[in-house]
Amino acid sequence: MLRTERLSKRIDAFALREISLEVAQGDYYVLLGRSGAGKTQLLELICGLTPPDSGRIFLEGEEITHRRVQDRGIGLVFQDLALFPHYSVKDNIMYPLKIKNLSLKERVDRVQRAAAEMNITDLLLRKPDTLSGGEKQRVALARTLVTQPKILLLDEPMASVDASLKDDIRRMLRRLNRSGQTIIHVTHDYGEAISLASRVGVMHNGRIIQEGTPLEVFNHPVNRFVARYAGIKNFFRATFIKSYNSCSGITEKRTKFRLPKGCYPSAGLLIIGSSEVLLSRQGAAGVQINNIHGIIDDVVPSPTGFEITVNAGDFFYADITHREMEENRFVTGEKVIVSFRSESLRVVGEGDDKKEY
Amino acid sequence: MMKGHTLFNWVFTILAALVLLFIIAPLAGMFLDSSFGEVRTTAADPAVRRSVWYTLAIAFSSTLIFAVGAVPLAWIMARRSFPFKKVVQGIIDLPVVLPHTAAGIALLGFISRDGALGGAAQKAGILLVNNGAGIALAMAFVSLPFLINAARDGFAAVPERTEKAALTLGASQSRIFFTVSLPQAWRSVVSGFIMMFARGMSEFGAVVIIAYHPMIAPVLIYDRFNTYGISAARPASIIFILVALVFFVMFRVLATERRQIFRREDDAAD
Repeated sequence: MLRTERLSKRIDAFALREISLEVAQGDYYVLLGRSGAGKTQLLELICGLTPPDSGRIFLEGEEITHRRVQDRGIGLVFQDLALFPHYSVKDNIMYPLKIKNLSLKERVDRVQRAAAEMNITDLLLRKPDTLSGGEKQRVALARTLVTQPKILLLDEPMASVDASLKDDIRRMLRRLNRSGQTIIHVTHDYGEAISLASRVGVMHNGRIIQEGTPLEVFNHPVNRFVARYAGIKNFFRATFIKSYNSCSGITEKRTKFRLPKGCYPSAGLLIIGSSEVLLSRQGAAGVQINNIHGIIDDVVPSPTGFEITVNAGDFFYADITHREMEENRFVTGEKVIVSFRSESLRVVGEGDDKKEY
Repeated sequence: MMKGHTLFNWVFTILAALVLLFIIAPLAGMFLDSSFGEVRTTAADPAVRRSVWYTLAIAFSSTLIFAVGAVPLAWIMARRSFPFKKVVQGIIDLPVVLPHTAAGIALLGFISRDGALGGAAQKAGILLVNNGAGIALAMAFVSLPFLINAARDGFAAVPERTEKAALTLGASQSRIFFTVSLPQAWRSVVSGFIMMFARGMSEFGAVVIIAYHPMIAPVLIYDRFNTYGISAARPASIIFILVALVFFVMFRVLATERRQIFRREDDAAD
């Protein structure tokens, strides 16, 4: 459907570097990254508002790298929505239809259909400055969707929406995607990516550093940056040692990790999910179990229970449920043992964003 | 603290009042020194009526004609980056800082028979000196910056995203200009138009070099002053000031009305 080949663009000190991505028909592709990662610039390159310095863009097999914005058949909804303030909602939605020289009846029909689909029929006579963030979002979507774009680009579509309305917008976007609309959605919110994406691309410093299904990306982050997005807090810079029948990693704070047998780089990052870290007073038994002694530094309520921080030289973060807390009654300053299976540890080679061991 | 604050307010209020008084006092004095009979007699004078009419018509035509180029120039200055943009902005502002008689002399060299434009116009059978066309050019020369700068600020304030959105919705550059940029910058463009018209209407220095005749109001006032003295120039000045004020207010009201009509039409169309 949409393919970019080594797309690059330098804008002042920032550069998008060799972006190659592929979005299939019907995909919901979420580009995830911090602000300043280059997500919006990439959307502007794809829809033709900015020409690339190098690289190519293909849509439905045809090269569109140098095609005019107006002729690409790509719809873009900007983060600030860019509604025309001097037009009513109806005229905003009708704007692209007037360009197409459609009959008045056809235009009115299409506006009514789009308004009904977005549930904004009662707003048609209003001016944009009288609408809420969620209403504006729907109007902007309706205005773009009446053009029947081959692919819909959404730049931070939840940014101007109240938290209470985000679910509505999510439902609407999912419905839109289920109806066959291919979507590229830019966001900095991991939750949005998880709840909407069929594929995710994580952007950092003008590059896509990891791509795949949400499960692939968030269960197997290739580096600290992606792992942070997946909510993983336990990162340890370590050097790796291989002996006759075991492998281990030693952090800068001298914490020693037992690793499954395998081939590791000489140095890298050790990553473990907070939910895979167990806390107890006696430790866990087993050959492949790591038991590390530490002192509870902090206990913070979390949506699923508590997040406990343990100072063991390195800081470990453990998610425990309400029930576990009731059973163990962990308190700050208490000595505990942090346990986790060696298999739960992931190793990412340093200086190599993509390589996982 | 409160005392200092009060003193500050007093000083500023007095200074502001002095400046306002400086503007109002001569005008008020002029009105008070002229009798209603003098003003009525002068208003009936065909030469005065003609000059006021010339002034209004030429200033308006000049503003309207030059707006055709000035508004696009304002848009370019607001939206485009190009080499020597600051130099171009300096050129736009130049007429404001030039002595107006010097501007008239420069313009005369350009539009007289020996000048580049004047020579070409003469070949087409048009004279640009000592007629309405010359006066219009002189008025435009000194007043164009008011329209260009106001419109430029208006276009610069239009969110660029709305123009980009229109592009992605399939609109051409010209459609975007007329349906997205200009309507949003309309208030500033009209404001600039009124300022250019008002400034052109009151121009004397450049006009008098280009064309003493046909006499526009500022030249007629000067002529009356030179020939008959201040008492003859005063009623003509009062009439011109009143007419200028009426037109200035009328344009402002029309511009406001127009915005409201647009709003009502939008609502009615829905």
